[in-house]
Amino acid sequence: MAQAPTPLSAAQRAKVRRLSEPQELAPDEEGGELNIVPFLDIIVNILIFMLATIAVTFTATIDTTPPASRSAGVRAKVKSEALNLTVLIVNDGFSIKASGGNVAPGCQGVGAGIAIPKKNGKYDYAALNKCAAKLKGSNPDYADETQVYLSANPGTDYQTIISVIDAVRATPKGTALFDDVNFKVPR
Amino acid sequence: MTNGGVPPQAPPARFKAELRKARRKNAGGQEVNFLNITAMLDIMTIILVFLLKTLGESSASIPQNKDMTLPKSVIQTQPAQEGVIVTVSKTQILVGDNQMLQLPGRESLAQTGVGARYKRSGPNDLYIVPLGNALQSARKTDKLMREAKGLDASSSEAIIVADQTTPYRLLIEVLFTLGQNEFGKYHLMVVQSKSAN
Repeated sequence: MAQAPTPLSAAQRAKVRRLSEPQELAPDEEGGELNIVPFLDIIVNILIFMLATIAVTFTATIDTTPPASRSAGVRAKVKSEALNLTVLIVNDGFSIKASGGNVAPGCQGVGAGIAIPKKNGKYDYAALNKCAAKLKGSNPDYADETQVYLSANPGTDYQTIISVIDAVRATPKGTALFDDVNFKVPR
Repeated sequence: MTNGGVPPQAPPARFKAELRKARRKNAGGQEVNFLNITAMLDIMTIILVFLLKTLGESSASIPQNKDMTLPKSVIQTQPAQEGVIVTVSKTQILVGDNQMLQLPGRESLAQTGVGARYKRSGPNDLYIVPLGNALQSARKTDKLMREAKGLDASSSEAIIVADQTTPYRLLIEVLFTLGQNEFGKYHLMVVQSKSAN
């Protein structure tokens, strides 16, 4: 007959309890962890603020070269059959000149007048864009031409100039038109 | 036979087994006192430093206020980082952080630019003398830097930061003065916008 194992005595049970208790950290060991939660809060706040701020200040640059003098017309590198497009910003709208002569009002053929007159007192950038696309597509020789000359009345503001550069750069679908801008000195 | 009143003790092997069992039980019930967020903090700090550095170097640090508001454009290119920064606000022209001259009112600017007293030969001249002097010095420094970097030093680049109301006449005067001082390429700074008009 198997004998029942001897149970632990009271002293042995007490010793087991004492030895198996989790060891408490000494007071100096407890203070070793630095509380970085407030610091973390500040970092997260700054991070969110900066991410929110930079989202509204994206900038870009438009590349250009020194302005051509009054007498300089076609540059030497331009082929004789080039379109040689010039956009002149005047008070009444956009006057456009090409190698064939002055573009007539409505961007229809050659003739005197303002090619793209103002619409409701505002410059018509959409019509300028269409006219630039039409002129570029009028001859296969113009397909590789990217430069456009830009001149304006002395009082024309910078925003209008940038908007004209945008209008002649590409079509709304993204087809490149004239992205090489050269400024001309106003008379 | 008695052992003098001392209660019977379990053998040492059993005592040790009981001790191990008790220790396992207690260890399993311990709580995690704190979350280790050091790795996360490292990542956060690195991102923050990176953003601060990017912001400081980029054109996004250009202040936008009543005196200086950049024009809007639909262009989506990356802003140029290389070049001498020439700022044309409503009231002054700066090269880098140094003020070159105070500007007259807009009406006068549209007619004769910065005015005859800043020109070489009268109001119709396009060369702005104080700006030209500053650009000569900037060109020398930039030329040395471009040579050291192995870049083409025959001409320098300039970043034009101009207010959206700047008249064309003043813009041409600034560009002309830059061209006269061997600055051959300009980057016109704009703010990206879905619809510029």
